[in-house]
Amino acid sequence: MPVYDAVVIGAGNGGLTAALTLAQAGKKVLLLERHNIPGGCATSFVRGRFEFEVALHQLSGMGSPERPGPLRAMLGEMGVLDKLEFVEMENLYRVVFPGTFDVTLPTNREQLVKELSLRFPKDADGLSRFMDLVYRFSMEMVQGLFFHDPDISREKYPVYFTYAFRNSQDVMDEFMESPFLKAILSVYWGYVGVPPSMLSFGDLAIMLWAYIEFKPYHLKGGSQALSNALLDKYLASGGEARFNCAARKIVVDGGAVKGVITEQGDRVDAGVVISNASTIHTYIDLIDRDAVPASELDAFKSHSIGPSAFTVYMGLDCEPADIGIHETTNFITTTVDADRAFSLWKTMEQQGWALLTCYDVSDPDFSPPGTCQAALVALQYGDPWYAVSPQEYADAKYRYAEGMLKLAERVFPKIRDHIEELEAASPLTHLRYLGHPGGAIYGFDQYAKDSPYFLTNRSAIKGLFFAGSWVGSGGFQPTLTSGRSTARSVLKALRKQ
Amino acid sequence: MALKDVMKDIEGYTRITEEIQTLRKYGSDFTDRKGEVERMMALLHPKTVPLVVSEIVTETESTKTFRLTARGGHLPPFQAGQYINVFLEAGGVRTSRPYSISSSPTQTGYYDITIRSVADGFVSSWFLEEARVGDAFESTSPSGTFTYNPLFHGNDLVFLAGGSGVTPFMSMIREVACKGLDRRIHLVYGSTDVKDIIFEQELAQITQRHPNIQVSHVISSPPKRYRGLKGFITAELMQELLGDLSAKTFYVCGPEVMYGFCRAELEKLGVARRKVRTEVYGPPRDVTSQPGWPGDVKAGDTFSVKIRGGRTIPARAGEPLMVSLERSHIVIPALCRSGECSLCRTKLMSGRVFHPEGVKLRKSDRQFGYIHPCMAYPLSDLEILL
Repeated sequence: MPVYDAVVIGAGNGGLTAALTLAQAGKKVLLLERHNIPGGCATSFVRGRFEFEVALHQLSGMGSPERPGPLRAMLGEMGVLDKLEFVEMENLYRVVFPGTFDVTLPTNREQLVKELSLRFPKDADGLSRFMDLVYRFSMEMVQGLFFHDPDISREKYPVYFTYAFRNSQDVMDEFMESPFLKAILSVYWGYVGVPPSMLSFGDLAIMLWAYIEFKPYHLKGGSQALSNALLDKYLASGGEARFNCAARKIVVDGGAVKGVITEQGDRVDAGVVISNASTIHTYIDLIDRDAVPASELDAFKSHSIGPSAFTVYMGLDCEPADIGIHETTNFITTTVDADRAFSLWKTMEQQGWALLTCYDVSDPDFSPPGTCQAALVALQYGDPWYAVSPQEYADAKYRYAEGMLKLAERVFPKIRDHIEELEAASPLTHLRYLGHPGGAIYGFDQYAKDSPYFLTNRSAIKGLFFAGSWVGSGGFQPTLTSGRSTARSVLKALRKQ
Repeated sequence: MALKDVMKDIEGYTRITEEIQTLRKYGSDFTDRKGEVERMMALLHPKTVPLVVSEIVTETESTKTFRLTARGGHLPPFQAGQYINVFLEAGGVRTSRPYSISSSPTQTGYYDITIRSVADGFVSSWFLEEARVGDAFESTSPSGTFTYNPLFHGNDLVFLAGGSGVTPFMSMIREVACKGLDRRIHLVYGSTDVKDIIFEQELAQITQRHPNIQVSHVISSPPKRYRGLKGFITAELMQELLGDLSAKTFYVCGPEVMYGFCRAELEKLGVARRKVRTEVYGPPRDVTSQPGWPGDVKAGDTFSVKIRGGRTIPARAGEPLMVSLERSHIVIPALCRSGECSLCRTKLMSGRVFHPEGVKLRKSDRQFGYIHPCMAYPLSDLEILL
């Protein structure tokens, strides 16, 4: 008899919700984490008097207590809501083309359409029809897919079946003229890492719809509070966790999982392993080559390693308003040509595109009184950083950060004068803390072919499952949800035995 | 209908499956990336660095420099001002101590650590009295944030050093000298006596060759007829030495008492908080004199610490929990030993601890009962989860 029903490798978002779901179902679970702290991306670090949020910018799917979204409902089912305090953001986002155009979108659909129609009168009609399409698509997807309509069909859900895989740029082009308007409406492409010309309309539509309907959120204490709450609940539910303890090997025999060997050399027997590590690390590093089914290696070939990020974390000795920061979420872009910005992600050149998030605008308690923090982030692939020699690394990092800060100064000219703490994180920083090749933050590139429709959380190896961005979409809500749904697949499989 | 059947009817599905089939003919199965993440991390931030003492230099009566070279492999790079935490066994106890690297980051072949013996410092005494060329150690990779940041520190730097606190500055000065950088540096270096000045000759040589680097020694207990600067690094002294302070960034590194003192003096001069960088420092000499220490607990009080699923050990109130663990031969991850880096972050299941001011706990770690044992002092019996 195996000692554990399941071993979960990695305490990222997906690993935590998977482990907690299993423990709450009465399973004996061991959670292994390489680092000394749970969360993966969902974490924070302290410099001086600031605690910097690492990764969470806008939490999607929350909704209000009165009208909960899917994520709030899920966290409620897992019993962690009472330990957390969520903060609704006042606006959707601001987009600034320095010196050219500047607009802030409200989170209310009618107001959003009204604001943009005023700014783009020629496109007013097209915009309104485009938003209708976004809503019709999303309603059909929710009705047909999320609520598992048994009679789902192309005839019943025509918008969904027509538009799910179309690219966002083409669809926008059908409705609107202004490249600025289209760039503004599709600015969330940065949350997926695929430019509008290659981003599935389905991905864009559901994001816009969900953020408008359920509003963007943050939480007190940042994403680390969520990770801590999930772990706390897991321990209280009888789950066991080992930190500073990586998995060195997944033992596979006769095509089935038998257990895990830890970095300290302990063997843990279990019939189920849920890997919240990358699928690449799992198959290539953790399992003996001859135990990996050829089909799994073959499936890798249609994927490519997705983008990482470069972030400049700044602690500022002033209130946000003192330097003209009035929105939590500020996209700064020098171009409407997303394809060009995207092409620079594989280089060390500045891309002229960044997101500046200032949590203190919506949560004045986020930083100490009289201060605030700004996270300035751009996506970038790990590739150019692999070519930097270790001796050159610090300089290269400062150079890239300097370029990004210059971009931010075009919108917030006084920002540099108020920096009290500053830390930069490159794709290699993410590689170090996440253990993902390329420092990828969303798993594989997320083209239509890499969407959850074509991925599975279940290995051809019996008892091996996956949770997290490498088997689905990236981002907080998707990875948190992924762990829970993987745990349900595991429970189903265990019941069958 | 299952999702996989539904999606076949989505427009574009066939095109995507064809794309996947094509890619499977030519794509990579990633088997060539085996071990890649670990290799990348080994270059910049290996978990441990195997070192050997290759040379010992006597700097002053009470100070020696230990030159550490790699035992095989390479040394990860560092930024001037960073430290390594050295693991060793002294007096039968496995422990560790963080030491700033004093050599220049341009010297890629070794790390120098410069250690002064301190009263009742059993690791520093061990180093000064026992360590020999050829001794082998492990350390962490270089860490810490007491480094020059070109994005906002500017080009006009003042280093306020006290005693062996000069070591990170030595690394920074050597780098600027070696690379010929145009950064202006003024080191104001406080020592008890003239004979305690570390690196005196080398500093003098550097300032001769590099007009952008200045050094002022300040002696607190000078010999009779000493003609240099005397006393402490006060506001008046800085005003006189440094002139216009508006564009300067200050770095402070020295003994515990120096931080509070210098911070107050700089405040008198109207220097903004963002212009002052301070190095972390280890456990206070006497934790019971820290603000917030409860009056009913004495330094000598001993509590029992239960490790969930393991042993119960004794722990003195006046000593960091990490030290008590090490005395009982329980070694937990350690890096800064100053409460800052959170590597030793541990879940407190029950009981109370005291964290001195300046320990950098995350808000939610406080809420969910985590402690930093390197700077957590037991105030009652405890249970912890390791």
